[in-house]
Parts: sequence; C-alpha cells; structure tokens
Amino acid sequence: MELKLPLAVVSQVDIARLIRELNSLEDFFTSAQLRPAGGSMAPPRLTRTLDGLARTNQLNLLDKPQRLKLATALDQLLKTAPLVHISFASEPAPRFLNEILNWFRTNVHPQTLLQVGLQPTIAAGCVVRTANKVFDLSLRTYLRQQEAYLVKLIAGAAHGG
Amino acid sequence: MNTGGLILIIGSLGAATAAFVWLALRLGPSGGKGKLPSETIENAANKDVEHIFNDEFREELRNRGRLHFEKIIGENAMFLQQDLRQTTSQLNEYMRAEITRTLQEEFKKYEQSIADAKKLALDSIDKTITTIEQQRQFLQTQLQTQSEAQKARIVASFEKEMASIINHYVLRAIGNQIDLSDQLDYILAELESNKTAIVEDIKHGT
Repeated sequence: MELKLPLAVVSQVDIARLIRELNSLEDFFTSAQLRPAGGSMAPPRLTRTLDGLARTNQLNLLDKPQRLKLATALDQLLKTAPLVHISFASEPAPRFLNEILNWFRTNVHPQTLLQVGLQPTIAAGCVVRTANKVFDLSLRTYLRQQEAYLVKLIAGAAHGG
Repeated sequence: MNTGGLILIIGSLGAATAAFVWLALRLGPSGGKGKLPSETIENAANKDVEHIFNDEFREELRNRGRLHFEKIIGENAMFLQQDLRQTTSQLNEYMRAEITRTLQEEFKKYEQSIADAKKLALDSIDKTITTIEQQRQFLQTQLQTQSEAQKARIVASFEKEMASIINHYVLRAIGNQIDLSDQLDYILAELESNKTAIVEDIKHGT
C-alpha cells in the first residue's frame, strides 16, 4: 500500500509521531477488550494529522486490520520514503513549508519527507541536500558566484572607469 | 799664494839687484881721476860695493823685501780670500740653482704623479659613478617593477577582499530582513531549475 501523505506530514519525526499515536490507539483498543463491560473508558484523542492521514487514504481507524495496514505502511514509509534536507535562513512558516513540500511531492516523489534546518548565514534562499548531492540555492552562494562581477565593478570604480 | 804672486816677488828682487848693479857701473868711471889700472878700479869698485851694500843697507833691503813680501802675501791672501768668497758664493749660487732645479724637477715629477693619480682617481670615480648609476637605474627599474606588481597584487587582493566584505555586509544587512514568504517564488524557481538533478539523485539514492 502506498500512502498518500497530507501536507501536514512533513518529516520523519511526524511519521514517528503518527506511529506512536497509532500504537497508543491500538493499545487503547486492546485494553478496551480486556476491560469488563460497562466500565467507562476515555478514548485517546486523535491528532489532526493522523485524522487527516486516515481521511486522505480512506482508512477507518476503528477497524483493526486497517490500523495495522496503516501502521505497516507507516513503518515502510519511514524506511523507504525519500528524505530531503532543506535549510533556510530563518524558521519557515507552515504555509511556506507546505508550498515547498507540495512542490517536492508533486515534482519529485509523492512521499517525499523534509528535514528542515536553519542556516542564518545563507541570508536568503535555501540549501537542499539529497542523498548524494547538495543544491545550494542560497543568496550567499549567488553573491559568491557574482563576486567576479562585483570585483570588476569595484575595479572599474577604483580606476575611474 | 799663487804662482803670480811668487813671480811678482822674484821679479821685484831681480829688478832691485839689476838697479844696484847699474848704479855701481855708472858711479865707477865718473868718480876716479884719470885712468887707473884695472886692479885698482876693481878694488875700488869692490870697496864701493862693500861701502854701499853694508849691513845696514842690506838690513834695510831685507826689511823692505820682507814688508813687500808681506804686502804681496797680504794682497794675495786678500785676493785668495776674495776668490774664495767668490768661489764660495758661486758655489752657493750653483748649489742653490742645482738644488732649486732638482727640486723643481722633483716637484714637477711630483705634480705629474699627483696629476696622474688624480686623473686615475677621477677616472675610477667616474667609473664608480657610472656603475653606481647603472646599478641605481637597474634597482630603480626592478623596484618599480616589483612595486607595480605588489601594487597590482594589493589592488587585486583589495578588490577581492572588498567584494567579500560587500558580500558579507549584504548578507548581514539583508539576512534578517527578507521574509521567507517573499523568497518562495525564487526558491521554487531555483528548485524547478534543479528539478532534473534532484529527481535523478533521489531515484538513485533511494
């Protein structure tokens, strides 16, 4: 089963959190079966992320086989989903991050997970690191690449050109 | 005393003797009465001679001769002294002239040597000056070349460092001023331009 990940699920941390949440839900149902009938039990509250994931994949979390299916898929996802490290100069807003994530899941891989980092020195842009490559799309690198042109401008100004 | 003085003295003595002989001959025939026999005349003459040339007269003659001799000796001594003075003076003059001439020659040689040495020294100084000037020009050229190279290096380094400084300044200045939301289009465009490489790496990486 190939899960469709909502944009709320961004990183491996989110996947792990979903797995833990699913496990606690499973524990709840297991303990509910062992308890005598008539006793009051408070079911664990589902997070919006897990709820959204279940809705997106049309899964009923009250159904044990479907829960197990989701748990297996999440475990598999944690092992196989492509992970992209992306760094920004400042903490990105969720909406901004959703746009980025959407682009990756649309253009690269539908199960892409992001690991967001911070690099204040890049000033603007981002640095993308995949398994084998680093794509420096930062303003810092852009300015460095333009340094020859800047030197030329400075030289021209210094020599009155 | 020289030879002239001796001749003069001897000549004087001879003249005095001749005068006495002549006087005796003149007095002899005129003083007698008539002709006398030759022995008588001769005896008379001898007596007259002895009478004239007595001891006093002879002493007088000796005194006169001595005086004359002393006078002549004094004159000759004076002449000799004059000659000696003159000779000494001439000798002094000669020596002075010779010494002067020798000194002048030596001075000329000395001056010539000094002039030669001066010329050599001047030539040497000229050569040294020429060499120093060449060295100076060479060093100046070399220094100028190195200075230009150093200047170019410094300028290049400055320009490069200046570019780094400007970049650093721009990064620091705008680093916290650009909102990520404003960068979204730029980032998406950059991702789009690297899309093929990213997809390729993710497919091969996973």
